[in-house]
Amino acid sequence: MPLTGLQIFKLLPNTNCKKCGYPTCLTFAMKLAAGKETLEKCPDATPEAKAALGAASAPPIRGVTIGRGERAITVGEETVFFRHEKTFVRHPGLFQIFDPTGLTPAERDAKLDHWRGIHIERAGETFRVDGIAIVETAESVAAVAAAERGFPVAILAATLPGATAVAERIKDHRPLLVPPAGANLEGYCALAARLGIPLVVGAPDLASLADAARDAARAGVADILLEPPGADPRSLHHSLSAIRRGALDRIHPGLGHPVFLRVGAGEIERAVLGITKFASLVALADCGGEAWLPLWTLRQNIYTDPQKPLQMDPGLYAIGEPNDRSPLLVTSNFSLTYFIVSTEAEASGTACHLAVVDAEGLSVLTAWSAGKFSGDRVAKALRQMKAADRVSHHTVIIPGYVPVISGELEDALGDGWHVLVGPQEASDIAPFFRDVWGPLARDFETHP
Amino acid sequence: MSLDLKPKKWAGALREVTLGAGTRRPVSVGGGNGLPLHAFEAAFPYRPALALEITDVDPVRWVESVRQPWEGVLGQPAEAARRAVTDFGADLLLVHLTGTHADRGNRSPEQAAADVRAVLEAVDVPLIVKGPGAGQKQNAVLARVAEDCRGEGLALHSATNEDYKTLAAVAVAYGHVLVGESPIDVNIAKQLNILLADTNVDLNRALIDPLTGGLGYGLEYSYSVMERIRLAALGGDAMLNCPVVCLVGEETWKAKEARVSADKEPLWGSQRERGIHWEVSTAMTLIEAGAEVVVMRHPEALKRIRKQLDSWFGSDRSHDREGVVRSSFRPTETSGGDSCR
Repeated sequence: MPLTGLQIFKLLPNTNCKKCGYPTCLTFAMKLAAGKETLEKCPDATPEAKAALGAASAPPIRGVTIGRGERAITVGEETVFFRHEKTFVRHPGLFQIFDPTGLTPAERDAKLDHWRGIHIERAGETFRVDGIAIVETAESVAAVAAAERGFPVAILAATLPGATAVAERIKDHRPLLVPPAGANLEGYCALAARLGIPLVVGAPDLASLADAARDAARAGVADILLEPPGADPRSLHHSLSAIRRGALDRIHPGLGHPVFLRVGAGEIERAVLGITKFASLVALADCGGEAWLPLWTLRQNIYTDPQKPLQMDPGLYAIGEPNDRSPLLVTSNFSLTYFIVSTEAEASGTACHLAVVDAEGLSVLTAWSAGKFSGDRVAKALRQMKAADRVSHHTVIIPGYVPVISGELEDALGDGWHVLVGPQEASDIAPFFRDVWGPLARDFETHP
Repeated sequence: MSLDLKPKKWAGALREVTLGAGTRRPVSVGGGNGLPLHAFEAAFPYRPALALEITDVDPVRWVESVRQPWEGVLGQPAEAARRAVTDFGADLLLVHLTGTHADRGNRSPEQAAADVRAVLEAVDVPLIVKGPGAGQKQNAVLARVAEDCRGEGLALHSATNEDYKTLAAVAVAYGHVLVGESPIDVNIAKQLNILLADTNVDLNRALIDPLTGGLGYGLEYSYSVMERIRLAALGGDAMLNCPVVCLVGEETWKAKEARVSADKEPLWGSQRERGIHWEVSTAMTLIEAGAEVVVMRHPEALKRIRKQLDSWFGSDRSHDREGVVRSSFRPTETSGGDSCR
């Protein structure tokens, strides 16, 4: 449990020496309790005080890094049960389970290269395969090949000697050691401790899981992940919820670790449960975008900071395959606004240009009242996007909630631009295209 | 070392709302006294109910992979209803009167009411009836349906903050349930329920539709708003403790990620599978956040969600004497009592 200011105060020397920069030890204690200072500022703190405070101020869930270099992934360090309380901070790593049995080296490398090459851009994030969970086979070369490609590697061990051989070869890449279900953990703990690599511990129930993690820590394993019990959705949901709550309430030191979850082929629902309910590393047997895209997207949604809405990169987006006679719409870069407008525009069947203006992630009306969606600002953005080169009609359709910016925008754009007030609701874009834009566009054709 | 996992107890619980009356085999939802699916520490008398969406006219915007299971019955609501219940196992149906929209056929309130009556004759499950969307036409359509189908306990979808009086009046007058829709906003959801209560709507006959953002399209907003609504309900807020309904199918299948073929986006994989995964992921996530009625479109997605729920509520779907679908789950007396102790 975090200590209160008064509890901390009792651990301080109470000399009011001001060396920490605060007038009294009590003030400093209050700052410590609020997490705004560190004990290092107190030169006279006793070792006992340091130990007590260190244990109490450690994050409720430890951070663990797997892999090295650009693709290394750090998970854990979460502080809340509900994302709206603050935010979830470290999104879970999605690892591809890979069994290289029976593949030639060329086939194996081709798969690894394919996974390494996957980049899918969505709402400012790049989706990629975060790591490879390699099924241990007689030879360790597949793990080496994955590690050399920069992937963080999880070793799905079959036997202790086999896992030792693989781990030894790639220990400098900081692999994650995953013992087989039900294995005696002692040997794996010793191996992870000796090589200084992270270890997954599992157990048939929560109490033994917490004890196993505590024992692994005592055996010298610095970085631990928990594999929760739960073959069926209900017991998995229970385990995941109980581990997070137990970690935040600090009821057992063994619960304060990130969670590792294995997901078999065709078990999307299990992965959904893991991503929404606190798993930090999910190893997926399924490959292919049909399974991965929904999970990447779900992770993006759940791990978006609720206080800092997802923002689109400002710019000119093509809906369908627009040409220079297609309508030009303008909207804010609040992701939800963009998503709704782009979805409805797409459903209308009319290709168009969608100019997304930097409104600091606010919705149109809020942005306008905050001065972030003024005529001048929109005009400047349209010029930066070189919208004039993209449409011959020089007509821009603005959201129906801000007709008030029409005049200012028309003036600021100059050069024969026209401003057309669009619908208030995105759902009316299709009828707007049909009833308002359609006749106008025909007019452009006849009187260019 | 044993684990001291204390079960969380709450002051409040969800209202129980029964959908369907008269000739309907009723389905009740809500009543739970804990966080969604937290069956290890709370009691849930009813499982979340799974609905399928059927339409009055051919839904031309539905993507081919969703149309396929409904082949031959699209635009024939009674036939579609039979297939949804008999072949696909829906607990209830949402009849979407999309053809009453001015841009999609402009069918009259009389035609709409006839469509709903035909569905009532074809199947005996409860119905949610969704109008063409906010506005005068919506009120005219739903008022006529409510009158012509009096006593059937329909759920009328939906009243909004700006326009609720007509639907509140007909729901009360003709014995229906009213769905109040709020735009992903806890405060508006609460305000609307206060307004409905002031208009003599019994909130035990009301559902909250907090507006669903599909996966990738605002799902996180719906998720957190629903978690907050549930927390408020459990805290004892009597204006936020109606069960939540989510229109998952409609929102899911708007997403281009659910619709675009693999020819166009090779990295995205099979559209057929991806679309179903998209709907399943959206539904599962929202059930975790507190959805009690989930309206889906692809029967395969419904089947998969049902299988998940069976893990919590048992696979026994037999109907008890009153004809209420009850879960086989009974709360245990022990506190938090499983292997944790």
